[in-house]
Parts: sequence; C-alpha cells; structure tokens
Amino acid sequence: MLESLQLLFEGFAVATTAVNLSYCLIGAIVGTLVGILPGLGPIAGIALLVPVTFGLNPTTALIMLAGIYYGSMYGGSTTSILLNVPGETASVITCIDGYQMAQRGKAGAALALCAIGSFIAGTLAIMGLVFLAPPLAEAALAFGPAEYFSLMVCGFVVLSNVTGTSLLKSLMMAIVGLIIGTVGLDPVTGDARFAFDTAYLLGGIEFVAVAIGLFGIGEILSNVERPQELLRQQVIVPRLKDLYPTLLDLKRSIGAILRGAGIGFGVGLVPGPAPVIATYASYLVEKRTSRHPEEFGKGAVEGVAGPEAANNAACQAAFIPLFVLGIPFAPPTAILLGALLIHGVMPGPMMISERPEVFWGVVASMYIGNFILLLLNLPFVPLFANILRIPKRVLLPLVMLFCITGMYTVNNSIPDIWVMLLFGVIGYTMRKWAYEGAPLLLALVLGPKLEVAFRQALMISHGDFGVFFERPISLTFLVATSLFLFFPLLRGAIRKWRAQQAPR
Amino acid sequence: MKSKRDEVIGGSILFLFGGITAILSLRMPIGDFRAAGTGMFPLILGVLLMVLSGLFVAQRLRDRTVTGAEKKEAETPVSVKQLLMFLGVTMAAVAGFTTMGFPLMSFLLMLLLLRSLGIKGWAFLLSVSLLTAASSYALFVYLLKIPLPKGLVGI
Repeated sequence: MLESLQLLFEGFAVATTAVNLSYCLIGAIVGTLVGILPGLGPIAGIALLVPVTFGLNPTTALIMLAGIYYGSMYGGSTTSILLNVPGETASVITCIDGYQMAQRGKAGAALALCAIGSFIAGTLAIMGLVFLAPPLAEAALAFGPAEYFSLMVCGFVVLSNVTGTSLLKSLMMAIVGLIIGTVGLDPVTGDARFAFDTAYLLGGIEFVAVAIGLFGIGEILSNVERPQELLRQQVIVPRLKDLYPTLLDLKRSIGAILRGAGIGFGVGLVPGPAPVIATYASYLVEKRTSRHPEEFGKGAVEGVAGPEAANNAACQAAFIPLFVLGIPFAPPTAILLGALLIHGVMPGPMMISERPEVFWGVVASMYIGNFILLLLNLPFVPLFANILRIPKRVLLPLVMLFCITGMYTVNNSIPDIWVMLLFGVIGYTMRKWAYEGAPLLLALVLGPKLEVAFRQALMISHGDFGVFFERPISLTFLVATSLFLFFPLLRGAIRKWRAQQAPR
Repeated sequence: MKSKRDEVIGGSILFLFGGITAILSLRMPIGDFRAAGTGMFPLILGVLLMVLSGLFVAQRLRDRTVTGAEKKEAETPVSVKQLLMFLGVTMAAVAGFTTMGFPLMSFLLMLLLLRSLGIKGWAFLLSVSLLTAASSYALFVYLLKIPLPKGLVGI
C-alpha cells in the first residue's frame, strides 16, 4: 500500500508538468463539451481526438483522452438538468429528478450537486484504482491464452446481455465485429484475409472510422431525419449566485453520493456500459432506501446526486480492466486501448512495472482532472448552458465537418472517410432496427486478440479443447459465460410458463 | 421492439453476411485445431452468425404478437428527403475533398448542409460557413499543424 502511494506521488510529478496539466485541462474542457452536446458522445468524442494526440508522448495523449471520457460524465448532466435531454446515455436517469429540480428553480443547486457528487465519487474511485490495480496485475500474470480467451468471451456475452433489448441481436453484433476484425493480415501467419487484392484492406478496417461512423455519423443522421428535433429548445440558464445547494440538500446528498460511488466502482469492474448501468442501479437503491420515496420523479436531490456519482465512479473504475488485463470492457475504453497501441504502449499485467510513468501519470492526472472539472463545472455552468442555445440545425453540420476532418487526419486517407460514412449509414440503420453498436465496436477492437488467444491455446494443447475447461480461471469465466447466456433464456421460459398458468 | 418485417429483413441480411463470410473463408487454408489456418477463425464466426441469425429470423417469423412500437414509429414524422440531401451533400464534399482542398470544401459543406436543414437567409448562411471554414482551418492547419489537402485554393 505504501509502495502504491509512493508511486502515486511519482505519478503526480509526471502529471503536474506544464504540458500534461495543459492537456489535462483541454481533455476536461473537451469532455465537458462532448457530454453537453447531444449527438456527440464520449465514444465518438475520444475517437475524433485520437489523431490530435499523434504528436504527443503516450502519457500526455492518454491524460487528454482519459480526461475526455470522465469529463463527458460531468458534462452529460448539464443537458439533462437544463433541457431534459441527456447529453449522453449515462445521464438519462438524471433527467428524471434533475429537470424537475430545474423546473422548481433549483437548476443551479442540481448542477452543483452533480459536480460535487462526481468529484467525490471520482476521487474515491481513483483511490480504488490505486490500491486495487497493482495486486490485480500480479494476479493477472497467471493468465495464459486460454484464460484470456475465456475472459474475452465472457466479456462479450455479459456486454451483449446488458446492452439493448435482445441478447441474440447483441451477440450477432459482437460476431459481426469479430468478422470485421479479421479483415487484413492474419495475426498469426501474416497471410492476407478478405483484402480482395487491395492495399487499403490489407491494413484492416480502421477502428476509429467504425467508431466515429457508428456513434457519431449514425447519431447525426438519426437527428437529421427528425425535423422537429431541429427546432430551437428552451434552455433554463441558472445564475451564478443560484449555484449553491442548501445545507439540507448537501446533507441529503452525501449518503447518496457515497453509495453511488460504491455501486459505480463495483459495476465499473465488470463488462458492459458501466456508467449507464451504475446510474440505474444507484437510482433504484436511492429510491428504495429514501425516507421520502414520494419525492422521486418530482425533484429528489438523492435522485440526482447518487446516479451522477455512480456514473463517474464507474467511468474511473473501467480503467482497471484496461490497464491491468489489457482488455477493455466498454467501447470508450476500447478506443483508449486502440490509442495506447498506436502510441506503442501495450496495456496488461506488465504495464505497471514496464511503463510506470504512463500508468501512475495517468492515475495522478485523474485526481487533477476531477479537481479541474469541479472548478470548471461550477462557475462556468451559465456559459455551458448558453452553448446549448446553438440550434441543432447549426450544430449538426459542424459536427459532420469535424468528423470528416478528424477522420482524414488519422491516416491522411480519403478511403477512411468513405469507410466512416459507410459505417455511419450502417449505424443509422442499426438504430432504426434496434441493434446495439457497443458489442460490434468492442469485438472489432478485441477480435485479433481473441483469435490469437484461441489459436495459441489450441496450439499449446495440440488441438484439445479441454484446455479451456481444465484450467480453473478459464473454467470460472466459462461457467460465468454460460450463466449469463442461459439465465435470460430460463427467465423468459419461466415467465411464459407463468403467463400460461395464470387464471384468465 | 421493431416491426416484424424489419426484424426479418435485418436477420436475413446478417444470415447472408455470415454465409458470404463462411464461403470466402473456405477459399483460405483451414488447417486443423492443432494448427489453425487463416480461414478457420472467420469460418467459425461465419457459421456461428448464420446459426444465430437463422434462429433469430425463425423466432420472429413464429412470433405473432403485434406491439404498439410500430404504430408509434409511424406517427413520428420523418424527413427522408432532408436525410438524403444531407447525406448527398456530405458524399459530394468527400468526393471533391482533394480537388477542392480543405478551405473550400469546409465552406461549401457547411453552406449546403445548413441549407439542406432548412436554414434560410444568405447573409447568415454565408457568414456562419465562412466563420466555420476559417476557424477550422486555423485550428487544424495553424494550431495542430495537420497537413490537409490544399486543392484549388492552394492554401
């Protein structure tokens, strides 16, 4: 524990250099804007900014990109409270009581509680990251190809289970992502696959193009087809002097914030869209444990503070599987994995010992980033609220221009833009047909790793599939996978049976 | 839940995609499990996708319940013309990106996209487009030093 603290202090030395502080500030501001602007979530936001980091060293690059991710959690609440429109999915639940508080003239207090809750929960989650990551990394050294394969399969199944409305649809999307990931060179033999004699496809499908296409362009197109969405919306702009919650509000919130932090941290460690699940779980817990459950839905402070704390804690905890195992459990961290690989950093059990400056530098920057976000989100709320007054009809073309330019800068390649637009149309269609993009993107990023682990495990065992079941850690993951796979089927069958048995 | 027709079409497209993947994989060396060839992994994925999508389509064809989602969806006004215009302008801008160069492309893209979304008043359109083109040029080319196509304008 003492060693972790000492290393964390060394991380602060890295994070507090002028360059790193500046990029932490940029990341926090961009993240807040990404969270505020409807139509640009953290996935597209991070993907768009990856090319900007090419000239930076890996630590600085990751400090900025991580700042965008957790900064978007802060920003997302602003639109939920002032507009009743969530800036990103993790802020959907904040709309319920946050907007009601705004209607009652407490918009400033709601925003302040969000910022304070996010700060406390984010800081607590980083402490968890500091003390949990090193021992987990040591434990992960026992992982071989079989364990990695089973863990990734488990991750896909859990993610498919918790995203969207249909397990089957999400699983199909994960397989489509894995297939797209096979385009290019075989990671084991180096032979060409699905390249159709073109040099462009030999390099594989650019994951940034898929990410911006599915989550950025797809969202823009969905907005464009709905004319009524483009109309100017009424924004409640709070005054600076209203930004202070009452002592009673703070007293009621503190328990919710601490519970939200715990829930968020736990959920952040497992596969899935952790910030989203954490907010729902926190809201339910607060509603059930509250002395005033009748206030929920009408502007309960716990209904705002708890979920906002939870989504921030989940977001910070999601860095543990990424750094320790080298396996992202959610699309935003999958983009961060891609960025790390571009910068020549291989996350995994050895990252903490081999690249301590990156790991501890980024962790320390999160403390600083949280503090910056607290300072940013309180006094500048009226300014951010004014950004929301920009009509969507102006905003959507701006985002489109930024997507095209951002995509071009990744490889200076026009075909990448076409791929992005193609996936934009696919993303738009997927939205219409209720297919989830998250499993596809995660599978695309993890596909080559999964294939290598699968083939290596079978090579070691001379083609015996028993290797996946004989090793205890691998077996545990596979048992968990089957539980997640068959539990919904069993639940559905029981519900059907009960419905048939019920008296008519 | 989407309409049954959409679900069946979506599932069928995925079935076809899985089938094509499996067929193309068979043209590559498959090997055995001890030494898997290049085609083994995509073949497994293709077959798995066919099985799952087949199951999905069969499930939907068997499902006789009608949900209110389809009716609600039909009530939501959708502007296909606006969507196609927006997409068409974007595609034209990408096609002419190298020839026109970044400054001209960004100006025209903004101008036409704003127009396609129903913004009227040429003074507003021109000023917003010009301001966006100039500021994005300053950000990407001057500040971030990213080389973007110069094209006709030559800057």
